[in-house]
Amino acid sequence: MSPIPILLLAVAAPAAAQYSLYTAMATTKGYVVGAKLLPSGVFRRAPAGEWRQVGHPHPFVFAVDYDPRDPSKVYVAAGNGIIRPSLDEQAWTFLTSADVTEARDVAVDRNGIIYFGHAAGIRVSRDAGTTWKEIGGELPRKFTETIRVDRERPNLLLAGTEDGLYRSEDAGGSWRLAGASGWQLLHIAQSPHDACHWMAATQGGGLFASRDCGRTFENAGEIGVDRSLYDIAFDPRSAERIAICGWGPGVQLSQDGGKTWEARNAGLPRNDVWSVSFDPAKPGRLYASVHEEALYVSDDLGATWRKDSLDGSIVYRMKWIPEGGAR
Amino acid sequence: MRFVLAALLLAAPAAAASPEFEQRARSLIDFYAHPTGSGEPGYGTIAAKLYLREDAEWCSRRLEELLAAGPSGDMFWMFPVTSIAYLDRGQLSDSARRALRNAWKTYAPYRGDTENHFLLYYTCLYLMAQLWPDLPGSEWYTGKPSEANLAEAREWIESWVRLTTRRGQGEYDCTHYIGVYLLPMSYLAAWSNDPAMKKRAEMMLDYLIADYAAENLDGLYVGAHARTDDRQVVEKWAAVASDFGWTLFGLGRPQEPPGGYALYYLLASAYEPPEILKRIATDRSQPYAHYERKRTRNRWRFHDELHGPVYKTTYVRREYAVSSDQGGVLQPIQQHSWDVTWATPDPRGAHNTLFALNPHSSLHELQSYFVFAPDNAIEAVVRSKKTYDSPDKLLGGSPYEKIFQDQDTVIALYDVPRGARFPHVNGFFSKDLAEVREDASGWIFARGGEALIAFRPLQPYQWKPIAGGGRRLFSPYRQNGVVMQVAAASEYPNLEAFARAIRALPLQTRIEPTPRVVFQSLRGQKLEFTYGETPARNGVPLDYGAWPLFGGPFLEAAVDSEALLMKHGSLRRKLDFRRLTVEEFNE
Repeated sequence: MSPIPILLLAVAAPAAAQYSLYTAMATTKGYVVGAKLLPSGVFRRAPAGEWRQVGHPHPFVFAVDYDPRDPSKVYVAAGNGIIRPSLDEQAWTFLTSADVTEARDVAVDRNGIIYFGHAAGIRVSRDAGTTWKEIGGELPRKFTETIRVDRERPNLLLAGTEDGLYRSEDAGGSWRLAGASGWQLLHIAQSPHDACHWMAATQGGGLFASRDCGRTFENAGEIGVDRSLYDIAFDPRSAERIAICGWGPGVQLSQDGGKTWEARNAGLPRNDVWSVSFDPAKPGRLYASVHEEALYVSDDLGATWRKDSLDGSIVYRMKWIPEGGAR
Repeated sequence: MRFVLAALLLAAPAAAASPEFEQRARSLIDFYAHPTGSGEPGYGTIAAKLYLREDAEWCSRRLEELLAAGPSGDMFWMFPVTSIAYLDRGQLSDSARRALRNAWKTYAPYRGDTENHFLLYYTCLYLMAQLWPDLPGSEWYTGKPSEANLAEAREWIESWVRLTTRRGQGEYDCTHYIGVYLLPMSYLAAWSNDPAMKKRAEMMLDYLIADYAAENLDGLYVGAHARTDDRQVVEKWAAVASDFGWTLFGLGRPQEPPGGYALYYLLASAYEPPEILKRIATDRSQPYAHYERKRTRNRWRFHDELHGPVYKTTYVRREYAVSSDQGGVLQPIQQHSWDVTWATPDPRGAHNTLFALNPHSSLHELQSYFVFAPDNAIEAVVRSKKTYDSPDKLLGGSPYEKIFQDQDTVIALYDVPRGARFPHVNGFFSKDLAEVREDASGWIFARGGEALIAFRPLQPYQWKPIAGGGRRLFSPYRQNGVVMQVAAASEYPNLEAFARAIRALPLQTRIEPTPRVVFQSLRGQKLEFTYGETPARNGVPLDYGAWPLFGGPFLEAAVDSEALLMKHGSLRRKLDFRRLTVEEFNE
């Protein structure tokens, strides 16, 4: 693959409301166990367009989130646990210890409380990662691939486990099955337009949706059934526009709130897509990570695509983080 | 590059010619310190030279070159450089020492996803945090200060010792990975400043070596293995275990050249096993049955318990060993469940084993033991484990295989559901088998070394060639089974006499609705086994609940005991990990 440019940002602090795209990714094309690690870990793309490694290289990073009170506080779910990288130098701090491995997802609420799902449950920290408490004890199956916290109600959690989607109204004190029973969850997303509209992607069970604040999730049609759906993106500019992606379905776009879907794969090298994301600053711009090909970009909502960067990569998750937070 | 001792070993019978432990150690260290090949010397040569206090200037220069090229390999980078740091003893230049220190700030190793990864990782982190105390988090790739790194590492190492001495290893009895368990314990025994950690590590060396000693045949690691590989599963010698059999006990032959794990073991504690372990490792004067309980690796999905039990049976005598677990997918990808392995004067290149299996690969298996996403899991595994998804493979466990062993009899039954990708049984028939005959009775008779083998497939089969020699028995029936009975050549005048004895044994088999075998073994036991049910010997079902952590003439340990009693003749050696005591006495 072509090397990822790692350039120092030599520009003044960006204006408010600008975002940087963060990717949790690994370059796996041609990689075998034991070989020297190809560009992998967390990369940040500044508004000017260049990519820069955040923290150290790492072969298994799966999700990124940030403290909405201070976007410079970024948290990464990784094979070694939960990591807080430095945004200014190649350094980081492991926030978890030997008792946590295989962190799968991380979510930070509006008060800076950190939740993460891992191979053996869910943990929470109320002191920025200094101490942790396990809160997945009541779940019938502990493996938690995805965790989200309601952006308006901080104690409301949704957890995607290996056996369905669970909801907690008391910050993980208790859990109740909300839907997708028997299915492995792969991702959960909340609409930025309607806090009571949630969608969840599964391994084989298709897409599930909730319009009642996550109390119940019901199957949302045939899309993705018998395939794996890995990501859900709500367009921040249009309440009815949603993109999902997966292996087989590729990129699918709905412009009616998820009632109908249209494939948007023309120009992609294959229909195996790990993640998809709308650019909050550029209307109509959509990014998609195509398995071991590259990050692709479309400026017409997926009608056409062109290769962007990150050759040979898998981007497990994309996250737009506001620039200009305290350092 | 040839290991210099190869010539020496060839000069005389192994038992008489084996140098003493110190000589073996020195020859192996010399071999690495003075490489004769054309390749660029690596960390192993630096470490060996520092041990010998040779060429300090070259060591410093080469170390800086290697570090400047960029570390890679995660915990497999950590252990060589940890040994270099401890073998420095004032020899390295300040510049090389600074480069080494800086690497632990700028390179962030992945901690891995297996028990051996964690043990290597935390052992090295522990020792380096001990070496560089009082450094702030900004000086470590973890972002944590020395004290926190040390505490985290100590906690994990202690928890691993506790779990292992209560429920067994998760990566148990690996032909290759034995090295990456002995190595960290050797490091801690040599270099830990904490007397308790040092003692604990020395005791774990005894523990791990005892585990191997009771299940080796002339240095070959026999027994059901949590992990082996495509070569070692048939060429039993081509394994790290052979290096340790030779290094520790003078048994067999090391690999050519020997791998680096034995080197690093010797550069650290060079722990020589006590007399009782030497006797256990070498005394094959009487046949014996040995039992072990181990545990599965972490099962992240689809199971109520993180670890499941593994029940091992191993029957060992001078001529051969027969070994098994209970069947099922107990480990991902590289499990080896049962076989007969026969002794051979020169194991190099020999395929001295026979076994069968249902080849199995599945997303369910991988997602049980790993955090893989569904779509690329199998393909990602196949990149490094080439045969994982092959129908002709000879490696791996199957959820559709159930095994019952009594002494040197094995009954393996298969009930593969419709729709399984590989609905057949593979049997490995070695190029080194002699006198193979397919008898009209349905038995296949053969001789492997001094082992006489009777193998009875329950369903029709065909023969297929194997690249590298031998034949694969291919039986394309989902409901299937195998009965294997082994005896020593010394027990019968010839193979035909053995065959007559086998033919005379009562055998009832059934395929539907589920495979079932009732067999009167050559040792006079009535063995009953129905797929999916508890097997019975002489009408008494096996009591898996009473299975010991170790049981047999040489080793005894109860589940949850955190103790091990070694026995040979009147000699006794008792390890008590709760009190951190070793007691030796005569009984």
